[in-house]
Amino acid sequence: MKVNVVKNVLKANDIVANENRNIFNKAAVLALNIISSPGSGKTTLLEKTIPALEKQKSIVIVGDLATTRDADRVSDIALQAIQINTGMSCHLYANQISESLKKLKLDEADYVFIENVGNLVCPGEFDLGENLKVVLLSVPEGDDKVAKYPTIFRVADVVLLTKSDLLGILDFDIQRVKDDIAKLNANVTFIEISSKTSSGMEEWIAWLKEKRGKSVGQQARFVTEE
Amino acid sequence: MHELSIIVSMMEQIVDVAKENKIEKIDEVHLETGVLRQVIPEVMQEAFASVKLNTICENAILQIIEAPALVLCKQCKSEFEPSIDDFICKICNLANVDILKGNEIILKAVIGDSRNESF
Repeated sequence: MKVNVVKNVLKANDIVANENRNIFNKAAVLALNIISSPGSGKTTLLEKTIPALEKQKSIVIVGDLATTRDADRVSDIALQAIQINTGMSCHLYANQISESLKKLKLDEADYVFIENVGNLVCPGEFDLGENLKVVLLSVPEGDDKVAKYPTIFRVADVVLLTKSDLLGILDFDIQRVKDDIAKLNANVTFIEISSKTSSGMEEWIAWLKEKRGKSVGQQARFVTEE
Repeated sequence: MHELSIIVSMMEQIVDVAKENKIEKIDEVHLETGVLRQVIPEVMQEAFASVKLNTICENAILQIIEAPALVLCKQCKSEFEPSIDDFICKICNLANVDILKGNEIILKAVIGDSRNESF
């Protein structure tokens, strides 16, 4: 016998992701899914970003196959830092975030930074319930990565070109990267940033504050309409 | 290897479908994957081959149907099929689109033997 089914295979993940998003919105926090290759500078960027947000408080959820090294690095500056060890999994799932949310002081926070497992492919396939996707590309990775991994750059809300202090040192055609992104999504914000020199940091912080303001504003309107 | 996660989720749904329809042995599974999902059919087959052992799918074939993408240009409202690395509308010369199709991963059908049929 043939049974016609028509079921979204990732429905279970998507349901939990939407629950997470509702929790973030109700707590008036901006949740960001930070995605990149290993070694592009995600944790270093957070080490610089969290103090630069001054009075606004951040929670960090970090996914790695093993160790608590990344959570340890931000535990002193973040309101809370939680490490998820994914074992063999190359990405975070919505239900891992959902479990973490039970331990978090969301009402005291302004931002939740979810540092995904270093990987330019798999994290793009699993909604965690974030409000926005931040994708990092570091100069040492080369200017061909947008063309090679188009999907993750297409779904990004902002692309941060990290380690930009190496632009004059390594051969890297920045226009090639911008052109490749423009072919995928004209609405992606592009920021050159260096955690080492702080170049571009102001623009990144301004972007974060603007997005949080909009997100919280939308939520306030939503509550009023209710 | 997100393909393994997808196959594991699919297997959970297949078990539910089998229970609902009293299917004891599954011969075929039809899965539709949109081309915009980064799903490699060969990797899906590898993942299915390892996950199906000792399940009702042990002897089942996984048939993967790739579904094309379709997008809507937000400016001129024309619909077109993009390639995975080029979403520029040829009329507006801008990549500013809504995805209409191509993101699906859908369990379409399960073919198997029910208890009634085996008697």
